[in-house]
Amino acid sequence: MTEQGTGPPDEYVEAEIHRMLVEDPDVAEQGITVAHRERGLVLSGEVESPHRREEILRRVSERFPDVPVTSDIGVIRTQAPSQVEELP
Amino acid sequence: MIRIAAVGDVHLDEDVVGRFRPALEELPDCADVLLLAGDLTRHGTEAEARCVAREFGDLGVPVITVLGNHDHQCDQVPQVVKVLQDAGITVLEGTGTVLEFPGGRLGVAGVKGFGGGFAGRCASDFGEPEMKAFVRTTTESADALGRALRGLDCDLLVALTHYSPVPETLAGEPLEIYPFLGCYQLGQAIDSAPTALALHGHAHHGTERGTTPGGVRVRNVAHPVIKQAYSVFHLGDREHVDSA
Repeated sequence: MTEQGTGPPDEYVEAEIHRMLVEDPDVAEQGITVAHRERGLVLSGEVESPHRREEILRRVSERFPDVPVTSDIGVIRTQAPSQVEELP
Repeated sequence: MIRIAAVGDVHLDEDVVGRFRPALEELPDCADVLLLAGDLTRHGTEAEARCVAREFGDLGVPVITVLGNHDHQCDQVPQVVKVLQDAGITVLEGTGTVLEFPGGRLGVAGVKGFGGGFAGRCASDFGEPEMKAFVRTTTESADALGRALRGLDCDLLVALTHYSPVPETLAGEPLEIYPFLGCYQLGQAIDSAPTALALHGHAHHGTERGTTPGGVRVRNVAHPVIKQAYSVFHLGDREHVDSA
């Protein structure tokens, strides 16, 4: 059993969120890190669109309404490269 | 010299279509070919593959890809491959291709690859059927890459995988998951041929540069690592590769 709403999230909650982010078809993100901080969980990493970032937060809040979650998820830039790497 | 553009782990779906296109429009000005290092889609559906075809088709340069683990999720690999091929994208899996450019003949051999871990810290073909099946998948994949690399007659040889052939380009990932991110057997396959460059993706928190034990340059081109639409490498043509 996980303990929710009465204290900091435990390791099982972290593990469950981490697996949900990969296995939930609406998320399917393997690159999101779930870290336990003093005031709750911090989700970090990068995704391919703002929609995906919002969806991650929505799914986690829905499933774990009592767990305070902070998002530090970025959207990966897609600009053309300004430099090349020479490999003689 | 041959100019190679590369990116992996673009994870396309409808919500991403169009994001890469402005940079891709510039690609023919700076590269001869685009190599995609797998995880083109989120779940490996035919619909997502059509998004990849829209985004990466009709670029004006050849596009060569391997699939990634995400591209296998929905068990629609044949449909995904067909959509990509219909869009003119070459899909490699234990196979290779040679392209002629003004700078020489570029050979690209590719395989998705698999996990397994790295020398001294890897899974073994021993014990439960599930473990043996895991490691045999690793071995067969690496063997297929080695055969494909050694079978190409070209001036410059590139290995394209999704999983990593070396641990160096995984730096930044938790050590505990290295066995799920690559295997040393891919590096061994790369070193069995006169490979000039090895490109892979999969490790979103990894780092760009590494080398195999045999000295082949390895680049992790996962999109979250390179943080741009693609990287461009100018690969020299000093060495002639003749497998015959």
